[in-house]
Amino acid sequence: MRQPPSGHEKLKVGFNMKIIAKEDFNNFVNALINNNSFNVIGVKAKRDKFTFAPIDSAQELRLDYDVTLLPPKKYFFPQRETLFTYDLAGGFSAKGQAAEPKRMVIIGVHPYDIVALLHMDEIFRETKSDPYYFEKRDSSVIIGVNIQKMSKWNFSPYMGTATTEYGYDIMLTDLGNRYAINVGSEKGQELLDKYAKNVTSALARDIQLVGQKKREIMQLTQQKFDFPTELIPELLRKNYEESSFWERHSEPCLACGSCVLVCPTCYCFDVKDNPDLTLASGERIRTWDGCLLEDFAKVASGENFRSTRPTRYRHRYFKKGKYLYDRFGFISCVGCGRCGSNCLPNIANPVDLFNDMYHNTIGTVTAGAEPEVQIQTNESINYVPKLATIIKKQAMTHMETLLEIKLDDGSDLGHKPGQFVEISVFGVGEAPISVSSPPTKKGSFELCVRKLGSVTTKLHTLKEGDKVGIRGPFGNGFDAEFLKRKDLLFIAGGLGMAPLRSLFNYVLDNRKDYGRVTLLYGCKEPRELLFSDEMIALASREDVDFKPTVNWCPENETWTGNIGVITTLIPQVDFDPDKTYAIVVGPPVMYKFVLHDLRERKVPDDHIIVSLERRMKCGVGKCGHCQMNEIYVCKDGPVFNYSKIKGLPEAL
Amino acid sequence: MKNQNLDLEVHHVTRVEGHGNIYVNIKKGAIERCEWTVPEAPRFFEAMVLGRQYNELHHITSRICGICSIGHTLASLKATEAAMGIPISDQDLKLRKLALHAENLQSHVLHLGYLVLPDLMGVGSVIPLASSHPDEVKTVIRLHRMANEMSNKLCGRTTHPQRLIPGGFSKLPTMKELKDIRKELRDSIPSIQAVAGLFKSLAPKLPDFVRETEFIGLTNPNEYALYDGELASTDTGKAPVTEYLGFTNEYIIAQSTAKRAKHNRESYMVGALARFNLNYDRLSPMAKQAAALFGLKPVCHNPFMNSIAQLVEVVHSVEDSIRLIDEVEAAGLQSQPEYFKPDIKTKAGRGIGAVEVPRGILFHDYTYNLKGACTKANCNIPTNQNHGNIELDMKALLPKLLDKTPQEIELNLEMLVRAYDPCISCSTHYLNVNFV
Amino acid sequence: MKPKVAFFDFAGCEGDQLQIANLEEDILTLLGQVEIVAFREVMKEHSDNYDIAFIEGSCTRLQDEDRLKQIRKNAKLVVAIGSCATIGGINSLKNYRDSDDVRRTVYGDQARLFDTYAARPIDAVIPVDAYVHGCPMTKDEFLLVVKSLLLGKKPDIPNYPVCVECKKNENICAFERGQYCVGTVTRAGCNSCCVNEGTICWGCRGLVDNPNENSHKEVLIRYGQTVDDAIAKFRLYFGWQEAKR
Repeated sequence: MRQPPSGHEKLKVGFNMKIIAKEDFNNFVNALINNNSFNVIGVKAKRDKFTFAPIDSAQELRLDYDVTLLPPKKYFFPQRETLFTYDLAGGFSAKGQAAEPKRMVIIGVHPYDIVALLHMDEIFRETKSDPYYFEKRDSSVIIGVNIQKMSKWNFSPYMGTATTEYGYDIMLTDLGNRYAINVGSEKGQELLDKYAKNVTSALARDIQLVGQKKREIMQLTQQKFDFPTELIPELLRKNYEESSFWERHSEPCLACGSCVLVCPTCYCFDVKDNPDLTLASGERIRTWDGCLLEDFAKVASGENFRSTRPTRYRHRYFKKGKYLYDRFGFISCVGCGRCGSNCLPNIANPVDLFNDMYHNTIGTVTAGAEPEVQIQTNESINYVPKLATIIKKQAMTHMETLLEIKLDDGSDLGHKPGQFVEISVFGVGEAPISVSSPPTKKGSFELCVRKLGSVTTKLHTLKEGDKVGIRGPFGNGFDAEFLKRKDLLFIAGGLGMAPLRSLFNYVLDNRKDYGRVTLLYGCKEPRELLFSDEMIALASREDVDFKPTVNWCPENETWTGNIGVITTLIPQVDFDPDKTYAIVVGPPVMYKFVLHDLRERKVPDDHIIVSLERRMKCGVGKCGHCQMNEIYVCKDGPVFNYSKIKGLPEAL
Repeated sequence: MKNQNLDLEVHHVTRVEGHGNIYVNIKKGAIERCEWTVPEAPRFFEAMVLGRQYNELHHITSRICGICSIGHTLASLKATEAAMGIPISDQDLKLRKLALHAENLQSHVLHLGYLVLPDLMGVGSVIPLASSHPDEVKTVIRLHRMANEMSNKLCGRTTHPQRLIPGGFSKLPTMKELKDIRKELRDSIPSIQAVAGLFKSLAPKLPDFVRETEFIGLTNPNEYALYDGELASTDTGKAPVTEYLGFTNEYIIAQSTAKRAKHNRESYMVGALARFNLNYDRLSPMAKQAAALFGLKPVCHNPFMNSIAQLVEVVHSVEDSIRLIDEVEAAGLQSQPEYFKPDIKTKAGRGIGAVEVPRGILFHDYTYNLKGACTKANCNIPTNQNHGNIELDMKALLPKLLDKTPQEIELNLEMLVRAYDPCISCSTHYLNVNFV
Repeated sequence: MKPKVAFFDFAGCEGDQLQIANLEEDILTLLGQVEIVAFREVMKEHSDNYDIAFIEGSCTRLQDEDRLKQIRKNAKLVVAIGSCATIGGINSLKNYRDSDDVRRTVYGDQARLFDTYAARPIDAVIPVDAYVHGCPMTKDEFLLVVKSLLLGKKPDIPNYPVCVECKKNENICAFERGQYCVGTVTRAGCNSCCVNEGTICWGCRGLVDNPNENSHKEVLIRYGQTVDDAIAKFRLYFGWQEAKR
């Protein structure tokens, strides 16, 4: 089973095994504790359980433990963390988190937890790296210890994580009255040189003893997989649709989140604003969240994209065993057994689930091809918004308002059509809104805001001159370059016009670069039409075929256009499916019907481009809320080529 | 105005806990009606605990009162522990006494600063005082916060304290936390002196009203009794707590949902003044000095001085808490496992727990069956015991007020009720129901 | 313009209103944000002109319904504070007493016995705009709701069980200690305070929106409780919510 590589110093050839008597080791630990520059954390007893906690003396250490309640990830990705504090009084200031003055030394980390940290490193580094995590990670020291007692739920030998050759600064193996030391990094060596005494070279028999102990560890597990764990991703792939299987297993689920909250490789989080009582200052915090919790995938409109127990329960296994595997090349489970031991109805043990799945799968299961992993890190994530001003506010319908916003530092947003920003109303929160104006509009940008949740409702009450926070632009956006010289069929449903307009107006601003341009725009009723002035102007343009429609027209309104759902417009358009690209944005319910009609007209799947909506919090593919199957909507989307996502069950 | 007509109805007296009404009818200077009635909704606690397990009762009965939760919980635990023979350690005993001191501190400071002070300063509430006398208000807040932080460290929280369980504490404070409490208590003495000084300057506004009254409370030869003791009456002397029913003699009256009590006379008083009158000798040295500042001596029969007796108890609680923490430190704080829960063998039995809460003596009386389920319960609440005395005091005070304006009469009658620091919603905890 | 607020109490222990007094120095900051126009426990003045009404305690008598309806008429927003007001609280324990087949005799005025009916939360009588759960409510959550209302936003109250907070706080699960807990179906937001203090969750904040009660009862039974015990546990605070299901 492949462990994640790198990012972390590999075992350097040339570090020989050392020996230290236990008494000298305790002195080493006490020297660190007494040194003001270290924050020494170790495994301590809590009744009959164990936890990582600050220690006052080496006597408190319990390196013979089986498993801690929470993994050491809590020190790098804490349960609650301040992203920044803000102060609105007398101008605006926002401060990111202060650097920790002391270096952490964590003593007693078992190999499976060390490997889990390596998983977290990959995840927090991918595409955009998380500075909060790495600041703590890079400065800390990991002193691991080989397993002496194994919890009955632990199956790390099957995951290849019961021992590890890298990921630690120092690794200890208990040899009775002494520890064998494997040094894994320069950092570890320096610490020993400075604070440890009487460290001697290991003898041949010591080295042999360590090898023997490591082999014995494999036998300690009380769990048993009935098949090779390499098959897990393929097994999952074959069983996605097995509803009765997932229903049976998930029925007792209490949605208590225990399985994910104790997991060393889980990293989903929620972001909230916490104003103080004067409302003039406050902080934005992130806290642990979990996909098993009922409202995890709920958006402001109230729609919950994973509203049933089976879908949530299934997602956890797929994320760990398939999605992360496809993306990073490793199964993101280290077999620590914490999930199984903490699940009161006892449905969280992956061994039980996968064994049952294996026995229920008809036909042979062979491992799929190794995934092609292409991970790059571009830059650091910035969680602190820039200050911006609302320079124009215009009500468009009874529900939507158009805000024109200018960044206070004078810069352009620099976005691509189809990207979105996260807009902050400090104290209330942050919301993702697509940019409605094209990048050709300089100096300011436009957001069409529908009044739905807390943030958007508050935005509707703000006035011209009021301040907001802006982060972004995020997302992949439309590929306007690729679409040049093609015939474009824009299909917008309701609020979908808002993001679509950023591309549409860009195309109009560069009209000669594009072929035929058609816009089909449907709303429920005439008063819901957005950008009505622009729509009227479009009607008189020769170089655009504009067809609006409404589902119905109430008596007190006038409408001379088409009446019917948006699909009724498609037959009215004459287009060549081979040269035409359809760009479709609308409410979830619309896609099924429009896609069906387009395909009937022989539009190839890869000529259809959609933009999807999910609950987006961080905007950078970390917090997990916008995830549909293996895709992060905020990062891999929100614009998707239909051919890439048509197989994704959670997408449409 | 001697020959006045006055119809006074104070519907829901303000600045007291719970709902109580005052009715006064005066015709041509003659008092036709003077009543104190309680229209509060009854809450049926005796019904709620029947059939519940012994380890749930304290949780349920704590909900009788949000202000005296610690006291109700302790009285409840004492009753359960007495019924089943569950011992508690010396250390737990000291910590429980500390908890009761913290409760007394919190409740008395709240009463004095928020409920009584406005009358003496001639305002409707403490809110305008926050602007006109910010330092004094901040001092009261500081003391109140200190008392709450003390309960938080000892019991988990002031209202419905989680750590108090049958047989001890589910979690102990650390020695560092106890030392922090002690330091805060020591540092608070100047603030308390300031508050005492303020009340001394306002003391002339307290009516000089005396009506000979019987006082009942706990008494203990070794200390100023709050947690443990025998029953005592200024009229009849001592008696074991098990004879409490013979002291309280609760009865129903037509116009109130709360019952009343009587013993040697038509009514009696419980609370800080009662404890002061019964146990003056065992007050701490500084507390006696505080009493001397106001000329308060046992036996005092002026109910308005109950507030001053509370102030004296504040000083005593501070000094006695410091002593208790010194004792715990000297003996060394014995640790216990986290999430502590003693092993208890249930047995059938009846137990009575009596504890002094800020407003007076409280009784919890439980009977359990072999399986540890409650088959009978009775709670006698201090404010119940005071209702009769309040009314009789009112009837005696009113004639002395007849030459005042209606507003002054109303204010004085309300001040009388407030002086008792009544906890009315606790006192309507039950109706007399007999399950057949 | 500071919004005007008023406090009312019904059948309860006043513990939640005490938490407001326990805001200590924050009371002064609060007074900078709102104007208190009625609060019987603390002030003499009373006005019926208020924007936000905070109500503590359950409704246990028919005659209290009129008072509640009047408050609803006067206020723009009604906030239920504390378990008795939000879910019926411990008062709802007595509802099961009434439904048992027990004859009672009352000494004294008979009419008063009928002067009480099943204890119920405020929203059984009037629409409620926000809830501050807990027995007692915590200062932090009270302020969270106040700040949210001042910001015009819906308070962010969790819809997940107390287990989430217990796990974050690294508690040892009650079931692993031989005790029985209803935190698995109880709404979080208290930061698992009771378990942190060494005991269990009693359920004072009420059930989550969609509790898996069957699963929870099976857990209780698998860990050694009888069916009756499990039902009794639910009646402590969930009495009214259970009866509604």
